Amino acid sequence: ITKESIVDVEAMVRKVEQKIESCSQQDVELHIERIFVISQAEPRLPLQLEDAVRPDGEGEEEGRATVNQDTRLDNRVIDLRTTTSQAIFRLQSGVCQLFRDTLTKKGFVEIQTPKIISAASEGGANVFTVSYFKSSAYLAQSPQLYKQMCICADFDKVFCVGPVFRAEDSNTHRHLTEFVGLDIEMAFNYHYHEVIDSITDTMVQIFKGLRDNFQAEIQTVNKQFPSEPFKFLEPTLRLEYTEAVAMLHEAGVEMGDEDDLSTPNEKLLGRLVKEKYDTDFYVLDKYPLAVRPFYTMPDPNNPKYSNSYDMFMRGEEILSGAQRVHDAQLLSERAQHHQIDLEKIKSYIDSFRFGAPPHGGGGIGLERVCMLYLGLHNVRQTSMFPRDPKRLTP
Amino acid sequence: NGDVDPAVKALEARQDEILRKLYELKAAVEGLAKTVTTPDADLDVTVSSSLSSQSSSCAIFKGTTNLDALLGEDLGALRDIVINANPAQPPLTLLVLHGLLCQRYRVLSTVHVHSSVSSVPPQLLSCLGPKHADSYARHMFQLGFTLIWKDVPKLEMKFSVCNMCPIEGEANVARFLFKLLAPYPSDPALATLVDSWVDTGFYQLADGSTKERAAVLRALNSALGRGPWLSGPEFSLADIACYCCLLQNGSASSIAANVQGWMKSCENLGHFGPAKLLLK
Repeated sequence: ITKESIVDVEAMVRKVEQKIESCSQQDVELHIERIFVISQAEPRLPLQLEDAVRPDGEGEEEGRATVNQDTRLDNRVIDLRTTTSQAIFRLQSGVCQLFRDTLTKKGFVEIQTPKIISAASEGGANVFTVSYFKSSAYLAQSPQLYKQMCICADFDKVFCVGPVFRAEDSNTHRHLTEFVGLDIEMAFNYHYHEVIDSITDTMVQIFKGLRDNFQAEIQTVNKQFPSEPFKFLEPTLRLEYTEAVAMLHEAGVEMGDEDDLSTPNEKLLGRLVKEKYDTDFYVLDKYPLAVRPFYTMPDPNNPKYSNSYDMFMRGEEILSGAQRVHDAQLLSERAQHHQIDLEKIKSYIDSFRFGAPPHGGGGIGLERVCMLYLGLHNVRQTSMFPRDPKRLTP
Repeated sequence: NGDVDPAVKALEARQDEILRKLYELKAAVEGLAKTVTTPDADLDVTVSSSLSSQSSSCAIFKGTTNLDALLGEDLGALRDIVINANPAQPPLTLLVLHGLLCQRYRVLSTVHVHSSVSSVPPQLLSCLGPKHADSYARHMFQLGFTLIWKDVPKLEMKFSVCNMCPIEGEANVARFLFKLLAPYPSDPALATLVDSWVDTGFYQLADGSTKERAAVLRALNSALGRGPWLSGPEFSLADIACYCCLLQNGSASSIAANVQGWMKSCENLGHFGPAKLLLK
């Protein structure tokens, strides 16, 4: 019988004197009376499970192999059988579940938005084109437009879980061309901080749920990929952009007050925040208006800044959100300022012409959040069948 | 007949009025009496509830402080002081100092629970008072006071991670915070006396054996026989620290006369409310 074959077994369960260290069930043995092979595996496996689960350093020392990422991804079905993979994706399922449960308890309604759309929603060039009968259409970069339309349609608080498509030729550890987006949008009563508080509280409930119910999975992943446990504060730490710039200046970084944060600066900032507050998750509020999309609401008290925010896990950005412009007139002005053709976004602007409540929101990527929570280093480890500029299978 | 004579009614009414005025007079005299026996108190805060403690204690500490000199140049962003404390040992002295800081500066106070702690009793979450109405705009505040309940072996304070190492221990953090309110006495002997009482409070009164505590109480009694406050004529950090350490201890049973009088004086100043609230 070859390794990885599926078998049915009729056996006597017998207690053992000594613990069987190499098994998960350590106190009993099966004394087989009859065995049937249900599905025979081919004798030569493309990769060995013991190798796939070995931590990287260990393999080199003892002369035993580990498996590189491309081999894993080419033979994903077998790679997913490892204890580490099983733990990662069970935890990912937990994240989704906690996201849904927390938001539902807060009175949010889950919506489904279309993925085949007629115009690029964010106004960027990174969209996939699909042939659509005699013309073409695009794959949605984000559910942004539709989330907002639902708010204008009196749904008050909505969320959606669905695929997001970005045709960015970024071959990095944290970019995929297709990923699962967890998006939130809500109307607020007095101040857009109500939106920030809702989002951060949802994140904290997810972190607590993982900390309290998925320790076994976290430990399993740590065996192969050691990392520091994820730390956070409740309520979530919220710093202002000016504070971040001051902290970076103090650390010797040269940047202007209205400059955007480069990725190395984000990482450095994450380390400084970790050093001072001991948290791996925080919000940066009041970004400069100049570096945000056209539909971001400007700060009414200071025209240089905006009512927008980013959230970071372990120093990497996981969410970019804001209060949206809900006034059609102001929206047109902001779009023109960004030199966007108003004709292309006519239906978007039209949504706000017949009564629109002040609202805001943001979205996270499921794979990136899982990767950062577990302290892993490549988003392909947390995507079951990842898609990037060089990979379309399995 | 059954009705009361209206003349008697009028007499009773005048009597009630006189009694009411007498009670008012009694309360006022009691208040003034406390003022006379408690140095530095403007008015007994416990008697007059309508008087908020806003103005009464700014004059407590003489001498000026310069935030920029103490905390470094104002770079246009909130200067946030972070304190990591174990919920099993709430730092009463720091809560009292926080109250005093709020009267002197515009302070943004926040309380967080760190993920190393699963839950914290509600009074620890509200120990810095209600959320400030302007807390959505951090840059409008002169100082940040961020208290994080965390599973730490020793209390620690962090301010500027690039220029300052963390400050450890409630006594040392208390000294740092106090200096934001008023400078230490310029006379080195007096300054040393204050420091000595602060250390005595934290290391022997709060943390010491029963014998050590009894010895400290005797020392307190004789020191308070010589003057109204521990370091002489002026209220100082020594009084704040020792009062809180005594309170935390709970040994209110056998306290000598001078110490009792001093404790009442401390309470009359009205700053120890947050500390007492926490111990309820």
